[in-house]
Amino acid sequence: MSEHPLADEAFEPYEPRRPVPLPVYWMAIALALWGAVTLWNDSTAQSSGVGQRLAEAGDMTRRHSAAGADLFAQRCATCHQANGAGVAGAVPPLQGSRFLGANPQLVVQILLHGINGPIAVGGDRFDGHMPAFGSVLDDGQIARLVTHLRATWGNGGEVEAAFVKAQRQATRERHASWNGGADLVSLDPAVGPQPAFLSAPPAPSDSVAMALARGGKAGGWACSACHGAAGEGRSGVPRLAGLPADYIAQALLAFSTGTRPSDIMGPIARQLDGPERVGLGRLYATMASASRARPELDGDLARGATLALQGDDRRDVPSCFSCHGPSGFGVAPIVPAIAAQQPAYTAGRLAALGRHGKDDAGAAVMPSVAARLSDADRRAVADYLATLPPSPAIDTDTKDAR
Amino acid sequence: MNRALPLVILAMAILAFATMLLVVVPRAQIGSEPPAAGLRAYSPEELRGRAQYMSLGCVYCHSQQPRTPDQAPDGERGWGRPSVAADYAYDSPHLMGTMRTGPDLLNVGARLPSTAWHLTHLYRPRAIAPWSIMPSYPFLFEIKDHAAPGDTVVWLPREQRVAGKVVVARPEAMALVAYLLSLDRTYPAPASAIRDDGYSRVGGKP
Repeated sequence: MSEHPLADEAFEPYEPRRPVPLPVYWMAIALALWGAVTLWNDSTAQSSGVGQRLAEAGDMTRRHSAAGADLFAQRCATCHQANGAGVAGAVPPLQGSRFLGANPQLVVQILLHGINGPIAVGGDRFDGHMPAFGSVLDDGQIARLVTHLRATWGNGGEVEAAFVKAQRQATRERHASWNGGADLVSLDPAVGPQPAFLSAPPAPSDSVAMALARGGKAGGWACSACHGAAGEGRSGVPRLAGLPADYIAQALLAFSTGTRPSDIMGPIARQLDGPERVGLGRLYATMASASRARPELDGDLARGATLALQGDDRRDVPSCFSCHGPSGFGVAPIVPAIAAQQPAYTAGRLAALGRHGKDDAGAAVMPSVAARLSDADRRAVADYLATLPPSPAIDTDTKDAR
Repeated sequence: MNRALPLVILAMAILAFATMLLVVVPRAQIGSEPPAAGLRAYSPEELRGRAQYMSLGCVYCHSQQPRTPDQAPDGERGWGRPSVAADYAYDSPHLMGTMRTGPDLLNVGARLPSTAWHLTHLYRPRAIAPWSIMPSYPFLFEIKDHAAPGDTVVWLPREQRVAGKVVVARPEAMALVAYLLSLDRTYPAPASAIRDDGYSRVGGKP
């Protein structure tokens, strides 16, 4: 028998009662509350998203069904002036114009394809470029616009969408603008005598550049494989048609030296020599093609129009058109056309310029403006520019030859 | 383990809850989504390319789901509009992916529509971007002395060519490129489409 006292055999081990500390309860309650509030807040995202979509749809419907007068104010008044008086020596007047008095077919055709070349209106001679609206306005919009034009300055009478559709169908093979008044006389002699159109013979480098654009160099990738047969671009691939020749040549040089980093264009541009860069620039500068760009970035079109036409003083952003020319058709030699550009390219290029701080020529003007644009502004302006008619293909040599 | 029954019941309840929210409810929402207007079914060759895409593991580095502007600047990157359920109507299984080591590919056929470019890029990604970390796929190609009639020759930059030889694409490479070119969801999203409204109350409009 041991002298040690025996352990209490009746003892049952137990765990002392230790309540969960109060702060843990508080934290659990706080977390639950936080979760509930977050869920509640986020539940409004669905309804506000629906509201935003409805507003966008309404915006698009309004643009599509705008009355003729509104379309005139949006699309024509910048050049032809709100009262249709035009600008002496630069933009033909609509008041008393024999073109508006003529067969409605003529006005519809001018709107569909634009004019490129000399034209005589009311005894004055004009030599400019009227953009082609065929790819950015639908049949109904053109019909309402023409009805408004004829009611205000012409013979009156309504033009139906079906008429515009038939006209579009009749000239669907046409890709270039009407060659000045000389071409339009053939549609309706009522417009009176018109100056002759002189076109320059194609330069010898054009066929070389054309082969490069369609077949690539030495079995390489062709420009047209991505940029389209008519340089119209596609979603995410920029439009080249109507960009200034020197701008294109400079961009190709910048791609080849790496000044403008691009994984896709870099290896292509490095295969090209100087004359080929210049030839390709000339080729695309003189190419006319319909716009394939459509708004696709959910940008606010009204905000985009404000930025393009007026800029934003508070953010120190000048209007696009102050440098890129009225209607965004670019200013040769190196300010590119921005109208009808593919929106994903425009927005992406703006973001890249803002980050990179230098453009192809090493200048910092555009990058500093781009850096001040917010993400929403970049999308807004890119989507707005995609609604504009494409820049007319300006053949500088033809103009010099005249 | 004297409370096995309650534990099993709780585990089953958690599983049922997750299945409900992750499988049953989404199925009810988008299970009967019709294909988007503008979307076409894959051709047999594109389906063969899709099988290549899966077997080569492209999905581990490339997503197929452009996001809304308030989540990521995918539109500005040229990757296309935010995708909707109807865009995947012919994808079974979908290949949305979870990683973006490389760019999103749902619209790669729209932004890179050149077969020749894709062949060069698959054969030797470094010929296009020296810093690229994409694996090359030389086993999809054949190096020959002369191209036979009907062969597709792969273009390479001058300094990367093998003298006297040509690189020719095997049918697997052609099928994969056909599949990549078919990835083009640039048509407008259907108005009724279920789309991710994300954080729209804070993002979007300025």
